[in-house]
Amino acid sequence: MSRWCWLLLGALACGSDKTGPGTDPGPDPTPVAEFHVSGGGNNVPERYSSDLWVHGSYAYTGTWGGALRDGHPGNVVKIWSLDANGAPTLVDSLVVPGIGTVSDVQVSDDGSLLVFGAERGPNAGLLVYGLTDPRKPVFLDSTMVETGIHTATIAEIAGRSYVFAARNPVDPALLIYDITDPADISLSASVPIPPQYGIHDTYVRDGLAFVFAWNTGVIIYDVGNGLKSGSPQHPVEVGRVITADDANHDGPSVHNGWWFHNPVTGEQRYLFVGQEGAANIGSTSNGDIHVVDVSDLTHPREVAFFHLDGAGTHNFWMDEERQILYAAYYNAGVVALDVSGTLSGDLGSRLLARGAPGGPGDTFTWGVQLSGGSLYVVDMLSGLWQLSGP
Amino acid sequence: MLLAPSAATGQSPAQARLGAGGVLAYEAASVTPGGGSLVEARLVQPTLMLHASAWRRLRALATLNFEGATIPGGELALGNWGEGFVDRRHPHTYVHELVLSADDLLGASDGPARVSISAGKGFAPFGTDDPMARPFLRFPVNHHLSQILERAVLIGSARTRLVAGEIGLFNGDEPERPGQWPRIGGRFGDSWASRVTLYPIPGGEVQASYAEVHSPEHRPGAGTDQGKWSLSARWSRPVAGHPLYGLIEWARTSEANGFFVFHSILAEGAWTAGRHRLQYRFERTERPEEERVSRFRSLRPHLENSILGITRWTVHTAGYTIDGPDLSGLRLSPLVEVSYGRMQRVGGGVFDVESLYGQDHVWSLSVGVRIGAGMAMHRMGRYGSLEDIEMRHHHQGGPE
Repeated sequence: MSRWCWLLLGALACGSDKTGPGTDPGPDPTPVAEFHVSGGGNNVPERYSSDLWVHGSYAYTGTWGGALRDGHPGNVVKIWSLDANGAPTLVDSLVVPGIGTVSDVQVSDDGSLLVFGAERGPNAGLLVYGLTDPRKPVFLDSTMVETGIHTATIAEIAGRSYVFAARNPVDPALLIYDITDPADISLSASVPIPPQYGIHDTYVRDGLAFVFAWNTGVIIYDVGNGLKSGSPQHPVEVGRVITADDANHDGPSVHNGWWFHNPVTGEQRYLFVGQEGAANIGSTSNGDIHVVDVSDLTHPREVAFFHLDGAGTHNFWMDEERQILYAAYYNAGVVALDVSGTLSGDLGSRLLARGAPGGPGDTFTWGVQLSGGSLYVVDMLSGLWQLSGP
Repeated sequence: MLLAPSAATGQSPAQARLGAGGVLAYEAASVTPGGGSLVEARLVQPTLMLHASAWRRLRALATLNFEGATIPGGELALGNWGEGFVDRRHPHTYVHELVLSADDLLGASDGPARVSISAGKGFAPFGTDDPMARPFLRFPVNHHLSQILERAVLIGSARTRLVAGEIGLFNGDEPERPGQWPRIGGRFGDSWASRVTLYPIPGGEVQASYAEVHSPEHRPGAGTDQGKWSLSARWSRPVAGHPLYGLIEWARTSEANGFFVFHSILAEGAWTAGRHRLQYRFERTERPEEERVSRFRSLRPHLENSILGITRWTVHTAGYTIDGPDLSGLRLSPLVEVSYGRMQRVGGGVFDVESLYGQDHVWSLSVGVRIGAGMAMHRMGRYGSLEDIEMRHHHQGGPE
């Protein structure tokens, strides 16, 4: 700002809204393919949906209670059976007392455990259920966290099972629980995260935990990789990066990510980072996908981005063999990006497909997962969908 | 209450004045979040004011507010919001204002102009007067669009007979609780405001102001920024022998660089005849609807930059006040106010008015007694050369 602007009258004249990001993303990209609805949709009318996980022929979706829908909080896990074509049918609802939101859902790789985070209520925290009968989860154990658990990620490290959980502010932290005995959850480590809105999600792979910590950026910990002699009991920071805030100028708002292991090139070069910008839930949003080169894990650096006008990204899934990134995109629905080769600058030309499964005004997509050749999409407004596409 | 020249000598001896006030109020609302009506009796706006001056140019202004003790859970006020409260007005901090000013720094060298500098805790130079210093008991919905209060401020100001200008630096974060002080380290100076006021005719003034406020709702600084505009015209002068007050204002707050925009228009007036005062206010203000952790509280600290929607509140408030007897210096003024408001969602989002309130309108009633002693409440938020003229007369022992 010029010094003249600080003069009294000038100061008034200088006040204005900033418009547009500092890096012009150019015109909105044009997709080259489409998603098609194969099944599901408009199947959770009484609650807002949250996260999903698909395992085998069952799917589990959470519910969100930041606002009541038809008077209902988000205290339910929906249990879906997938038919031979993968189409979902609701078979039961697991009602969890004392919570207001099921914030994150995951099934263990062997299908034996259903793990989810919970917020809003006296029973908020981490909950573990057994899936001996996938239609009838059986409670095994839980640990209460007063401010709630925002996300919970299962990881196998050195023969033991852990959950990497994100504790909400006031004192945000990465909590690492040992659930090897799922009936006896134990805390292995608590790593404080700066309260610049704290930690939102964690991606764990090859003994490295990528912590997505809002305006603090991405923090990479060795939790068993060997790079820095870290462990789940003693995470050791490897590196960190703060991604750009071009989409909303209100900070990087680092929310989630996926470390891409490219089987075609053998590279493990790119980390995709979701920026959760400001949003009017159910209506509008913003926030970009940022691509970070983690070739040197100790010095990660941003190399590319993807931007959609009028919408912001949320959770990811990847088809690594086909080098496609799927991103939930709130009011824009779902986006598929070609992430093959070298990634640099604006990835607008990499857009393969986009689609709003609930249609305009009834789409606010939380998460995506590829399973059995179908893309499953959970939408806060219109429920669980089965899509086909690129 | 007290006008006490000190023993200090000089052409302008030290002086101090005190005032105290508050309102014993019975307040009712026909609907509340979650449904049902609610009635409460509270002591609101309990304040103690001190104005002191010395050597003509040095002044201290303090306003203590004890709402942290009398309404720690806020005042029932459908539509009000801010500082983590919603549909209840938040209690103010115990130290509402504590500002030291050095006025007329250039003396006669700048002619009739007055240049001053002020520092302390108080209002940023933005917007209109604190509702507490206006005729109505009920706060308007636009309090957090039209005032920036309880910050650590450093303000430079200059005033001539026809125009005044102020510019100030302050900390962007708003208070989180009544006992909290502004965060100086890491926050002071991250926000600024500027206001120009014109005085075209005696009794009339027009102001325009702009502010950029960093992360007002998140003390560590991760929250969204605001750009705020305020325009207003004010009248305060007797007409045909009857004191007459009027204010029209327009305010706009843009948050997250225009992702959220909230507007407000407000017009209010009060006409006094003898001991009787009639008053009316119209307001149309938009407010954010945030996730609530209880009926009257929104989630703090934030976890993300999302809201559930925007609502527009259209509120009519009519009131009557009568000046009662002066009991050994204690002024008692019974009052009654009735408000009718309509709520409407603006744009998209998951917030639904009728789901929360059960209906789209609200009636509110306030019956109370305003109690005052000593110095009357000053116009808050104008310091140094812009301090309340009435107040300065007392400070300086005579008219300007």
